[in-house]
Amino acid sequence: MNLSSQLIAVLGLLALATIAGLIWKAKTGTAKRVPNGEVIDLKEIGAIKDGKPVTSFGERVTFLQFSSEVCSQCAQTARLFHELEAQHDDVLHIEVDITNRLDLANKFNILQTPTTLVLDKNGVVTSRIGGAAKSQTIQDQLGSFHI
Amino acid sequence: MSATSKTPAGIDPRGPRFGAAITSVLLLVTVFLGLNPATESTAYALLFVITALFAVGAIFGNSKHPYGLFFKKFVRPRLTAPKELEDPRPPQFAQLIGFIVAAVGLVLGAFGVAYGVAGAAAAAFIAAFLNAAFAFCLGCQIYVGLQRIGLIKQH
Repeated sequence: MNLSSQLIAVLGLLALATIAGLIWKAKTGTAKRVPNGEVIDLKEIGAIKDGKPVTSFGERVTFLQFSSEVCSQCAQTARLFHELEAQHDDVLHIEVDITNRLDLANKFNILQTPTTLVLDKNGVVTSRIGGAAKSQTIQDQLGSFHI
Repeated sequence: MSATSKTPAGIDPRGPRFGAAITSVLLLVTVFLGLNPATESTAYALLFVITALFAVGAIFGNSKHPYGLFFKKFVRPRLTAPKELEDPRPPQFAQLIGFIVAAVGLVLGAFGVAYGVAGAAAAAFIAAFLNAAFAFCLGCQIYVGLQRIGLIKQH
């Protein structure tokens, strides 16, 4: 390879990585509708909040966030949901660490963390957010559930 | 409250990204040199150094890595305090993946596989660049997947 084709290859790699990054950035943290979603079994997923088992869903909406221990964006996503919970009594956020719950990872086909399932007041999955949920995504989801 | 127990003390998230920026420049230079037979041995030497640095990061964590130390001493004092601290384990996991990919490049290079060094450097570059430029977190994307196919054991 001569110098100019080396340069073209390196610039091409840089362009490819940039395009991949822009696509990832645009798609990550957005919600996908889940038609005919299943009902979440709070016992099965081992939902615990503030040290106590969770027994009921949020009256308006529940955000079920699956996290893992090597996930820098999980804590930041959880923080967004905590802020939302503080503002709305009828919103519930549950965080489940799937690092040692491969059964859940398989059952819900989780490939990346955080992955957040949006549940209606009956615990039915209505949407799925892959990656660190964007603020706008969270607001849109909240807005789609009327009180 | 995080669902993860025993979370180690947080680090400035800009530290690992600062390191990833340096790493991605070095990897891009490695790709450039690795594509030309005349400079292939220089590329090999550079990838060797990068691999050793990945090993330091994978074993001792970002805060003990030379780039991390440089960041702490010279860069962070010039920045405002971070909005939030980050778990040190995800970037450490990313260093491990970087080490594996770079080491594969060294092995391919040792066996004389054409463009083995450049190819591995290119793969590692993409991850390092995405981390530096877009805050892409490799652990978030692949850890659970690697567990599910059995490459990482649960503990």
